[in-house]
Amino acid sequence: MFPRPIEKASPATQVAYKAALPVALFVWLLPLLAIFLTSIRPAFDIATGNVFGIPSEFVMFENYGQVLAQPNALRYMVNTLIITIPTVILSVALACLTGYALAIYRFRWALPLFFVFVAGNFVPFQILMLPVVDLSVRLEMMNTIPGLVIFHAAFQTGFCTLFMRNFIKALPFELIEAARIEGVDEFKIFWHLVLPLVKPAIAALSVLIFTFIWNDFFWATVMLQDDANLPITVGVRTLNGEFVQQWQLISAASLLAALPPVIMFFLMQKHFIAGLTLGATKG
Amino acid sequence: MAIDGTAALRGAGHDRFATETGKVAVSGLVLLIAAWFLFLVIDAGVVQSWLGYAQRGDARVPTFYIRFALLLLVIAAAFTLITSTAYYKRNRIRLAPWMFVSIGLVFFAIYVIIPIFQSFSYSFTRWDGLRDVNGVWTGEWVGIQNYQRLLEDPNFYTSLWNNLLWLVLYMLAVPIGLGIALFLNQTVTGIRIYKSLFFFPFVISQVVVGLIFSWAYNPEFGLVGEIWSWFFCEQTTNILGNPTTVCSVNPPNILGNPDVATYGIIAAGLWPQIAYCMILYLTGLNNVSPDQIEAGRLDGAKGWKMLRHVILPQLAPATFLAVVVTVIGALRSFDMIATMTQGGPFGSTNVLAYYMYDQAVGEGVGRYGYGSAIAVVLFAIMLVYISYFLWKMYRDEREGH
Repeated sequence: MFPRPIEKASPATQVAYKAALPVALFVWLLPLLAIFLTSIRPAFDIATGNVFGIPSEFVMFENYGQVLAQPNALRYMVNTLIITIPTVILSVALACLTGYALAIYRFRWALPLFFVFVAGNFVPFQILMLPVVDLSVRLEMMNTIPGLVIFHAAFQTGFCTLFMRNFIKALPFELIEAARIEGVDEFKIFWHLVLPLVKPAIAALSVLIFTFIWNDFFWATVMLQDDANLPITVGVRTLNGEFVQQWQLISAASLLAALPPVIMFFLMQKHFIAGLTLGATKG
Repeated sequence: MAIDGTAALRGAGHDRFATETGKVAVSGLVLLIAAWFLFLVIDAGVVQSWLGYAQRGDARVPTFYIRFALLLLVIAAAFTLITSTAYYKRNRIRLAPWMFVSIGLVFFAIYVIIPIFQSFSYSFTRWDGLRDVNGVWTGEWVGIQNYQRLLEDPNFYTSLWNNLLWLVLYMLAVPIGLGIALFLNQTVTGIRIYKSLFFFPFVISQVVVGLIFSWAYNPEFGLVGEIWSWFFCEQTTNILGNPTTVCSVNPPNILGNPDVATYGIIAAGLWPQIAYCMILYLTGLNNVSPDQIEAGRLDGAKGWKMLRHVILPQLAPATFLAVVVTVIGALRSFDMIATMTQGGPFGSTNVLAYYMYDQAVGEGVGRYGYGSAIAVVLFAIMLVYISYFLWKMYRDEREGH
């Protein structure tokens, strides 16, 4: 293990290290702490410059209640869910199929096709923006939630395929070969043999894509215009337009928008990190 | 580990290639692709009038679901058709991958691959994004005019310069992330909670990070103003008895100053990015071989030397990934700028990604052609990194076999 385990250091160093940890964490999360404190303050504190001190009055429920009482606040949250969940299901399902095809079969196009998915996953959004908008307009899917979902699902298929293909590639190939010799149909091999084995990958991908799509701002701005369709990332700006300079409400709205991915992260931490760090180690 | 069975199966299939069942299978595949395009170009109006929706307000969503259901039905039918032929059964090892990959590939081609080329062609036109009643394109072909204008556009150079700043300064996330990872790579009690809390900023959306930092940078009642006042300001009571704050140096308005606003946004962007790099390195450190560290120790390597000659080479995959995601993050920076400054003050925080959006669909302008030209430039920059990444992947793949 590197650096040298702290247990082997002198007691003074150990104490210093254990004291440094919370201090470092405090500095690191200072912006977040400060904005949380702001979100539970009365407006009076902010006007008088009480930014760090104890709130003169604890009004967390009033502030958060006021945000949620905005006509569209809950609507934005629900919209985000309607966008996020189908996208996760579609893109992960498609990636199971493509990843399986590109990992198991040694056909000439396997690697070029895989690279198409990988490269497409890295392109800047702006080069896709106008043609996708034009396509959606022609399909009459512009400014509708399904229109955004189908684009998200298609785009995320690139990343998911990269992930799935590498995961399936690492599975023991002998299993599949044995099934083939038995004469099992390819679809049955996929369904009964491979799919149960990739469950951890499906979990990791779902959590990741959920967070990516929940936090998406660009595509929602481009593809949706009606207030009734907006997800929370875009909606929070509209809300802030109404809370002019009322920073206690702006902070409360921001924290509410950030909450679901945070909960998802803490519940599914293992999968989340496994997904993000795929490829960070050899083998 | 090669598929030894395939050669035999393939050989058996070859001499019967021109059979009737072969034609059925091929036509099934064609049908599959055709169905997809049918779905994309089928007139929504036709479906609407079937349903009597034509006169109603928003029939688009139900229409979409029906088209989507139709599509799924056709795909299922085509797959059943293909797999039931004797030709498929003989050649399944050869045909099956195409069936598995087809849906995802068609999807991806329509929404990602083809649009890249479309953007290229848009960039040679002047167009405001509208079509006439019959759906006919209303733009005009202008050759390389957009690119010529780009070369004379001061905002373009500002954006390009800012993109460079982002690329260079964002890279700080990699060493800082490594530093924090080294700091946290211990086994004291509660360290797991510390690790997750350090990773926390990455989970929050960039819009929210942008809002948090807009507030933090606020000179009057934000974090910066507050910390500034500890050092430079004094609270005094004026003649009327009201408390007033007098500062020897006024707090900086970071986002309002064209000279420093970009740095302010980059600093905010670094926060989640450092967290990402940290988690990559923590995973990497977890897998560093203990034998090699022990061997290094026996050779007298310590601290910095150990890090450079023993640890970092083993962390190479993590470093590679950290650099790749940081470059992509830097070139994709959009959300932060949109939330914090919207390109201002005076266009000083524009980057290509934001400037393109602003020109193409921003308020009062609809310069699809010009916007596409900017996007093409951004894509060209990204292409350098994409090619490098693919080349490296290709090398790894070849080594793997």
